[in-house]
Amino acid sequence: MSGVQVRVRVAGEHYALPVEQVLEVADMGEIAPVPGSPPEILGVRNLRGQVLPVLALGAMLGLDAGEPSRVVVAESGELRAGLLVDEVLDVEELPPSTEQVESAYVLGACLVEGELIGALDVDAVLTPTAAH
Amino acid sequence: MSASDAEIQELVRAEAGDCLQRMEANLLALESGEGGAEELDAILRDAHSIKGSSAMIGWRESASLANAIEDQMERGRQTGAVPAGLIDLLLRALDGLRRAVDGEQGVAAPLLDELAAFEAEEPVAAQAPAEERAADPGQATTRSPGVAADPSPTIRIDAGKVDRMLDAVGETVLHHRRLEHTLEGAGRGARQVAEELDVGERLLGDLQDSVVQMRTLPLSMITSPFPRAVRDLAAEYGKEASLEISGADTQLDRAILDGISETIVHLLRNAIAHGIEPPEERLRAGKPRAGLIELRAHQRGGMVAIEVVDDGRGVAAELLARSEEAGSLADLLATTGFSTAGEVTEVSGRGVGLDAVKRSVEGLGGGLEVRSEPGRGTEVMLLLPLTLALMSVLLFERAGHVFALPMTSVGRVVAVTEMTSLGKRPSIEVDGEAVPLSHFGGRAADDGELPARMPAIVVESLGRRWAVACEELIGEEEVVIKSLGAVLAGVAGYLGAAILGDGRIALVLDPNYLLNAPREEMALDKSGDTTVRPPGKVLVVDDQFSARELQRSILSVAGYEVEIARDGREALRRIGEIADLDLVLTDVQMPEMDGFELLEAIRADEAHASLPVVVVTTLGDEESRRRGAEAGADAYIVKNEFDQEALLETIERLVGG
Repeated sequence: MSGVQVRVRVAGEHYALPVEQVLEVADMGEIAPVPGSPPEILGVRNLRGQVLPVLALGAMLGLDAGEPSRVVVAESGELRAGLLVDEVLDVEELPPSTEQVESAYVLGACLVEGELIGALDVDAVLTPTAAH
Repeated sequence: MSASDAEIQELVRAEAGDCLQRMEANLLALESGEGGAEELDAILRDAHSIKGSSAMIGWRESASLANAIEDQMERGRQTGAVPAGLIDLLLRALDGLRRAVDGEQGVAAPLLDELAAFEAEEPVAAQAPAEERAADPGQATTRSPGVAADPSPTIRIDAGKVDRMLDAVGETVLHHRRLEHTLEGAGRGARQVAEELDVGERLLGDLQDSVVQMRTLPLSMITSPFPRAVRDLAAEYGKEASLEISGADTQLDRAILDGISETIVHLLRNAIAHGIEPPEERLRAGKPRAGLIELRAHQRGGMVAIEVVDDGRGVAAELLARSEEAGSLADLLATTGFSTAGEVTEVSGRGVGLDAVKRSVEGLGGGLEVRSEPGRGTEVMLLLPLTLALMSVLLFERAGHVFALPMTSVGRVVAVTEMTSLGKRPSIEVDGEAVPLSHFGGRAADDGELPARMPAIVVESLGRRWAVACEELIGEEEVVIKSLGAVLAGVAGYLGAAILGDGRIALVLDPNYLLNAPREEMALDKSGDTTVRPPGKVLVVDDQFSARELQRSILSVAGYEVEIARDGREALRRIGEIADLDLVLTDVQMPEMDGFELLEAIRADEAHASLPVVVVTTLGDEESRRRGAEAGADAYIVKNEFDQEALLETIERLVGG
């Protein structure tokens, strides 16, 4: 990854996504479950009059539930959803990925001050499960 | 290319599209003998205008193709006739021209060769009245069957702009509801305020109606390809058929129009493939050689009916008898794999297709009816809502969340008194009849565990009845239906979502999907195990909004009923009020009264001394754990170890045990 990234904490781990793909950061709001949807879809919430699906990012990355408190609204083409994170840490320039990561949702990782930061593949995260 | 170039190209493309539609209709009129000199002139003018605009912006292929068509029409005008064999070639040239205009390369050359090589065969006189042929070409109009000019001035607007405007109006309506809601909460204020609100509501209603109308378009927007489609299909099946369209000016929501064009083509294909008989058979039956297919549209109450009627062989008498048992002819024919034709054609039998038609129409909130008379013909009717934007729904609460069903599908509401089960499908008794209970909501429908006198909504759709049980009925409301968006596009069972006056979201259920949804699929419990976990009522105590909402969300998704308190003191009061409370889930650090104090107070109260209490906290040290155990906590969960499954397992163990 390179360029300006939004760095988030998910269940104790650090991940980053390109700032161009982040529309805003919101609180969790009230999430209405959608029966019949895939497990990673926590539900939908009302974000200023728009219906926003909320994805359990931690669960998708195979992590524990963590302490989600924020929703990062991410976008990729037509796809738009809120990703549940513990905390938004920073918006900063990050070095290119040097490490390989075996995950459908992570492109790679870089090491910054002893902390491994995973570069989220926003397109993959937002693509509905059926397509994987 | 600059933006303005792109805009000009788009404009030229849109204009050419209009021209091409008219040209096709006029060519078909010439072929059938209904058209004459006037149609010929109109084609000539349209070809000329495409040639001009294409040349202007450098589209060489479409310019030369339009030019060749113009030449042929010019020759036709001079001889007063268009050779019969030429029409087919011209129709193909129009297809090529359409592709060229859309930017495809290399389509013109082969067609140009063919057009140049065309030598007049036996000419067919254009059957126009003499006075028409003599009409001054300079004064000619472009009228042709079904392509009448619209007398009222129109503007082209990007559809997205209308959608955004409708969105904004929807928002304003919601804002108005919120305001009403707030004022009601505050004791509704002065009478004057209430009156102003009423005025506002009426104005908003007018505004909403007019924007919804902006989004409606006449059916004629999609009918232009149909005559050509009928012609080509009839040729393909070795039959003769003509199409008559009536009510083409009937208005429909653009979103619905987009969705039904393919469906109508499908029905036309069915009518030709399975309805209309071959010419010899028709003559033997005393019918005209060519079959007649009618496409009729008209408004019926709050719905629009679109009918495809053929004068073909109809369905067999034996099928009609069977349809009585199946509920309706539409249901019987829509059974997958069913066909009315003696043999199944390459296009698939009528049944397979009709199943798709039924689904697509129902997905739009409409219905399908089929009538048929053996030997006389078949009538298929699509019943569609006028608009998708607004819907009257019944709101209800299930597992702590609000859902909605379209009012058009709601029959009545009953209190559940008795439950029976047949083939593992539970049903309830309504007027002495067993009505199957939908799997929606999952667990509560299992094992006859519905609480006494739970309300159930009886849904009636396409001749079938079934019920959805709920905890509470909220009432009827007119809502703006919003799409669930691209991420949820693959999730079946919903017409969309509505945002309510208090900001909550209500998912709008697709009434026709529910009855057939697999048991697990529509369960509110996502863990997949729908049998083990018993229902329960949990009080979540946390001063932090996000933590509270997360726990509430996890628990209600798992099917628990969740109550909320913000600190120990409030929790203690709620414990006294809530009947059948099964468990308390509490944070430790809270203002007023902390978790440990709450725990001690619960244990000291005889009535609730044995109520299971789970402590969730960030305090992971030994001292805190010991204090929790001493105070009588049944389980102690540290927040950094917080794990959704572990939490649910712990709660299930304590509630179930």
